[in-house]
Amino acid sequence: MKILVPIKRVVDYTVKVRVKPDGSGVDLNNVKMSMNPFDEIGVEEAIRLKERGIASEVVVVSLGSGACQETIRTALAMGADRGVLVETDLELQPLGIARLLKALVLKEQPQLVILGKQAIDDDSNQTGQMLAGLLNWPQGTFASKLEIADGRATVTREVDGGLETLELPLPAVITTDLRLNEPRYTTLPNIMKAKRRPLDVLQVADLPAEAVPSIKTLKVQPPQPRKPGIRVSSVEELVRKLREEAKVI
Amino acid sequence: MLTLPEKLLFIIFAILSIYLTYIGFSQIIVAVRKGQPEYYSRSNRLFERIREAFVRTIGQTPVLKSRPLVGVFHSFIFYGFTFYLLVNLIDLIEGLLPPSFAPLSGSPISSWFRLGSDVLGFLVLVGVIFFVWRRFVSRDTKLERFNDSVLLQAEVRAGGIRMDSLIVAGFIFFHVGFRLFEAGSLLAAEGRLDPWQPVATLIARVVGFGPDRIIGWHIGWWLSLGLILLFLPYFVRSKHIHIFVAPIRLGLGRRAATGEKIGSGALDPLNFEDENVEQFGVAKLEQLRWSQVLDAYACIQCNRCTNVCPAHETGKALAPSAIEINKRYELNSIRATLAKGAESPRPVMEFALSESALWACTTCGACVGICPVGCEPLIDIVDLRRDAVMTKAQFPQDLNSAFRNLERAGNPWGLAQDNRKDWAKEIAAPTVEENPDFDVLYWVGCAGAYDPSAQKIARAFTEILHHAKVRFAILGNSEKCTGDLARRAGNEYLYQNLGAENVQILNAALGNRDKRVVATCPHCFNALANDYPQLGGKYRVMHHTQLISELVSDNRLPELILDENITYHDPCYLGRHNGIYDAPRQVLNGPKRIIEMQRSRENSFCCGAGGAQFWKEEEPGNTRVTENRFQEAQATGAQVIAAGCPFCKSMLSSSESAGETGAPLVLDVAELVAENLRRVKSKLGIG
Repeated sequence: MKILVPIKRVVDYTVKVRVKPDGSGVDLNNVKMSMNPFDEIGVEEAIRLKERGIASEVVVVSLGSGACQETIRTALAMGADRGVLVETDLELQPLGIARLLKALVLKEQPQLVILGKQAIDDDSNQTGQMLAGLLNWPQGTFASKLEIADGRATVTREVDGGLETLELPLPAVITTDLRLNEPRYTTLPNIMKAKRRPLDVLQVADLPAEAVPSIKTLKVQPPQPRKPGIRVSSVEELVRKLREEAKVI
Repeated sequence: MLTLPEKLLFIIFAILSIYLTYIGFSQIIVAVRKGQPEYYSRSNRLFERIREAFVRTIGQTPVLKSRPLVGVFHSFIFYGFTFYLLVNLIDLIEGLLPPSFAPLSGSPISSWFRLGSDVLGFLVLVGVIFFVWRRFVSRDTKLERFNDSVLLQAEVRAGGIRMDSLIVAGFIFFHVGFRLFEAGSLLAAEGRLDPWQPVATLIARVVGFGPDRIIGWHIGWWLSLGLILLFLPYFVRSKHIHIFVAPIRLGLGRRAATGEKIGSGALDPLNFEDENVEQFGVAKLEQLRWSQVLDAYACIQCNRCTNVCPAHETGKALAPSAIEINKRYELNSIRATLAKGAESPRPVMEFALSESALWACTTCGACVGICPVGCEPLIDIVDLRRDAVMTKAQFPQDLNSAFRNLERAGNPWGLAQDNRKDWAKEIAAPTVEENPDFDVLYWVGCAGAYDPSAQKIARAFTEILHHAKVRFAILGNSEKCTGDLARRAGNEYLYQNLGAENVQILNAALGNRDKRVVATCPHCFNALANDYPQLGGKYRVMHHTQLISELVSDNRLPELILDENITYHDPCYLGRHNGIYDAPRQVLNGPKRIIEMQRSRENSFCCGAGGAQFWKEEEPGNTRVTENRFQEAQATGAQVIAAGCPFCKSMLSSSESAGETGAPLVLDVAELVAENLRRVKSKLGIG
């Protein structure tokens, strides 16, 4: 069984994000970029399936600039077998990505696609669902547990107020939640080996899919900075300030 | 002189014994030579090395220093045995050659020689009896006590060390005892008393005089010299081999190519250039550097290191001596096949120490500091961690996030690089760009930058710098973790990446100017001073207590008027690893002198943070290292525990006893000096 794991290169979670002064987007100059943490969980899950003998090949794919090769190498160092980069300078949005991925799925013929449930930059939480829709495949989103047996996937999902367990026939689309696994720390020999693993670079034009953005970004602005709090000396003062200054009671 | 059959028998016996001993020795030499090459030199400055080994061996200082009484008895045996090399040689000549060859007969030094062999022989017996009494009668727990969780070779568990000790002691006792008997019998046979041999004379009186007593001389000769031949083949596998290996090991300390000594603060770097290497660190015996293999034979199994190990002291599975002992027993059992070219059969982690032991080490260096023969078990531990982390990725889960945070954010907390200068929001701390004419570069460190308790140290030190009008600058947001925790946790690759970035930033900031770099964190200090020269970063590094001490002597800071009772905790990476003991004490000795803890200076006890312990759960034991240390500090009755390290401060102030009412406060030296400034100002009415 082949597993396809799409991964996204995002601003690292430890970075304090800055917005460009002209409001056209996020400033990516000299900013540490890394793999979307939910996608890392997807890669880990796919590798574990391979280690358990359930999967035979793990292919990671990323869409974006040439710099995404570095992100793909990270996944290869974790243990993925092969990487594909679809190179493009277009602003990629969930629907466009889902269309490109569908084209790739038809080309690669995986039995399972594992995506992060969302990317930590735009937090869209749409690509996995859209891909399943376009492929007309069943989907198990927000998986916190995944079992594969007899051509079926059993997915435990975290929903409000409890756990829901679904059984899906393969092929299927799975999106990962935070608690699915803890991604491994890569060993140095694997980092070295990853440099020698195959990484194909395709152009968007090579795929029979439209990735033109359907949404236009008008403006990006940082959130208003929070005003510092003040310390009050008594309950009376607190009540007075809430009434007179904050006007909330 | 012996009879002819006796001579022939002796010669055959000698050839056999020397042959077996030679095989044993050559196997050990092959095993040592199979070890990997060293990074630092262990052979340059040969004359200095020989002198060092000679002085320390003859002076017996490494033995006397940590256990004075035992050291005295040890020196009895040492001096006696050394002299007996000569005694045995002369006995050999006298036994095998005609009397005309007797080297000392008639010479004036003959009397002194007889006195020496008599008195020193007697002292050897006294020493051996003391050691046998100590191990088998009084059963000194320091000798063989290992926590139950310590991994030991089956033979050791079954009392191998006791048996070995008994055999060695028996050999020494009978060898020297029969030599005295031999001398006494000769006097008895010749029917004379010798004032130069009081002990032998006493023996002669006991056996009674008569020419037939010459049989006692024959028996004595055979049992003293013959016993050597019997013992020699065993000697190479016994702990007694230390009489050869220990003096050699004492001269094999690490030195830079330029000759200066390398302290325990520096670790040997790995080379990541070769992309075909698939093994990093040590998994198998033959991957150890040769000095580490030799350590197994230098170790005398005295357990001094285990007695001072903070992990073992708090009930954990780590015993540094057990690593060397287990290595020795392993080598003894496989060295014959190793010598034939076979690989060692099992990984080091299967026989030398358990996984919990590997991760219990705080890298405090107490084991290396106290070892009387110069062994370095700490280096083994780091090498094994390197294999666990880089080759196998099998390490405590908690370190995963510390490593990832270092990779991504450049600090172990995973906080934003852009917030690194936030500690100085309310106090002026100019960056290198803002104050290019600085005299001192203040390396704040991740703790000072992000940890609220350590930020107070950074601010206190900045306040002090301002008061003393020191022109200083910081690196601001471009500073990153030195990589100390990664390196001590075995993640050499991550450390070298961080180190290379920092060296580049530091070199750019300092240019060719010979500026001083001052750190408030001993771990940063150690990395900057001892680790970074390997990466091309050579700086004049000092600890903030050194700079403060200098500013006080230059009258740029007021004398201490604090009248609290203060005790001072020596941080391992300031004290033991870098020898800085006096500067913080000079700063803290005010109207009242500081109260010393029982374990201070080079005998200081770790706070439990080092070697990446701060970033993981403590391994299972019977108490926390911090708790052990805090209670000791508390017992001094001090109101304040002064520390010189943000991690010591954090550990000690979070120990269980620190939460009790009336418990002493834990503060950094800089915080105390800043408080002193405030008090001096308010006393003068300018505050």
